[in-house]
Amino acid sequence: MNRLRHRLAVCRAVAFVTYKEWSAYRTHSLVSAFVGPVYFIVQYFIWTAVYGSSSTFGGMELEQTIRYFGVSALIGYLTMDFADWNLQMLVRTGKFLIFALRPVHHRFFALSQKIGHRILGFFFEFLPCFFVFMLLFRIDIVPAYTGWTLLSVALTFLMQFYVNYCIGMTAFYFVQARGIRTVYMLLASVFSGALIPISFFPGALQRVMMFLPFQYTNYITAMVWTGSDSIGELGLSIPQAVLCQAIAAAVTALLSEVLYRASIRRFTAVGA
Amino acid sequence: MRYIKIYFTCLRIAFSQAAAYRADFLLGNIMSLLSNILFPLVTVVIYANGASFPGWSMWQVLLIQSVFAMSTGLSSMVTQGVMWATMDHIREGSFETVLLKPLPPLFYLTAVNFSTGSLGLFIGGLVMTVVSAVKSCTSAAGVPAFMVLFLAGAAVLCGLDLIMAAISFKWVGNSRIPEIFDSISEFGKYPAGIFPKAVKVLTAFIIPVASVGFFPASALLGEVEGYMLIAVIPCLVFLAFGIWIYHIMIKRYEGVGG
Repeated sequence: MNRLRHRLAVCRAVAFVTYKEWSAYRTHSLVSAFVGPVYFIVQYFIWTAVYGSSSTFGGMELEQTIRYFGVSALIGYLTMDFADWNLQMLVRTGKFLIFALRPVHHRFFALSQKIGHRILGFFFEFLPCFFVFMLLFRIDIVPAYTGWTLLSVALTFLMQFYVNYCIGMTAFYFVQARGIRTVYMLLASVFSGALIPISFFPGALQRVMMFLPFQYTNYITAMVWTGSDSIGELGLSIPQAVLCQAIAAAVTALLSEVLYRASIRRFTAVGA
Repeated sequence: MRYIKIYFTCLRIAFSQAAAYRADFLLGNIMSLLSNILFPLVTVVIYANGASFPGWSMWQVLLIQSVFAMSTGLSSMVTQGVMWATMDHIREGSFETVLLKPLPPLFYLTAVNFSTGSLGLFIGGLVMTVVSAVKSCTSAAGVPAFMVLFLAGAAVLCGLDLIMAAISFKWVGNSRIPEIFDSISEFGKYPAGIFPKAVKVLTAFIIPVASVGFFPASALLGEVEGYMLIAVIPCLVFLAFGIWIYHIMIKRYEGVGG
């Protein structure tokens, strides 16, 4: 119990310091209040043109698709992560040594940092865009099932972190892991559902996606948020989809621990 | 002549630097190539599901997006490094090292920051453009207009890079400045017909991102209109404005970092 209390205290302290540190750059976050709506406007015109010839597309109506893209942007603000970039930078420069010597696991430290960073994101990215989407664009952005949505967002938050941390650990092997990060970001941009809902892809591909991490970092949560009662090719209900997400997050967390134990032996602290 | 010699020396050094991290260089460029195949997936998925952009075939839309990618690759190689280097120097308060060089600062930064990592993007865009052009049954008659409009589009992107770099003199350390302009340039990746008139005018003459993908592709398809050629003027003005504002902002450099 004491150990848990201590870890919570560490998490709170790191999150608070990160929040304060990034508050100095709060205009970074406010950029989203412009960028998010502009991307949304582009999506609006694209899909309005595409739906011009048919009322439904990929099993979704125009209104649902527009809502999906608004929600997708908001999920991004709540769960955005750069643990991969940070870790590979620390390994490449040799600065990881500082963290290796501390009595706190670096992964836990990084997760606490992310919590602080995203609390800032909540105030300076999520809330402005939420109100722009709701009041200016008049889209129904309120979650259909608040409890399931919160749980799903939390799982996406963890999933993104653990996946990115695994990607960052490739720096222990390649030193400069920019290429691998690019590969992942490229695949994630398409298969997470950020560019296009997964339900628009062929059925066979959707089934394969169930075993890949991408859709658990955006698509599932966006569908849970919009209250879809039949998610993807398998027609998952919301509880089933969230359960799949929880399993995926647990597996990825386990994988990150296995990878960490294997990777840390390769750390030379020299940098490159 | 001296400047050309310096520029090519810097190019040689850039490729030597890339060779220091060969695996990363190769992987990065292969990824840039693959991104050209994956990025237009949205368009492919739309058409595969039986929907379409009214009046446009899949290959015609892909042509717009391929030309856009090629133009982005070209501008990234030439000026994107200037933007990042300027931002870094200003944040660290080390821009003096650039000002002390016996070369014009903008030329120096352009020469030493040639981005080899964007080579794959350019080649991928070129391949996709050729494939899309062949599949769209374009004619060679549109090539001269295409070349003019393509270079005008690349000038817009270079101008955007320089404007972003100039902004960083005042908005110190904001690595998200490019996102603002990336979001605006999204309008250039799709047929202009899907946007309302106000957006069309804005993207043709004010922030001429339509010149990056849509106009050159229209020229290849033989559908070039008079206003598209007129839009070359704002493109050049845009680049000139980028160079001018960069030089103006250099004078505002404070040297304190941020």
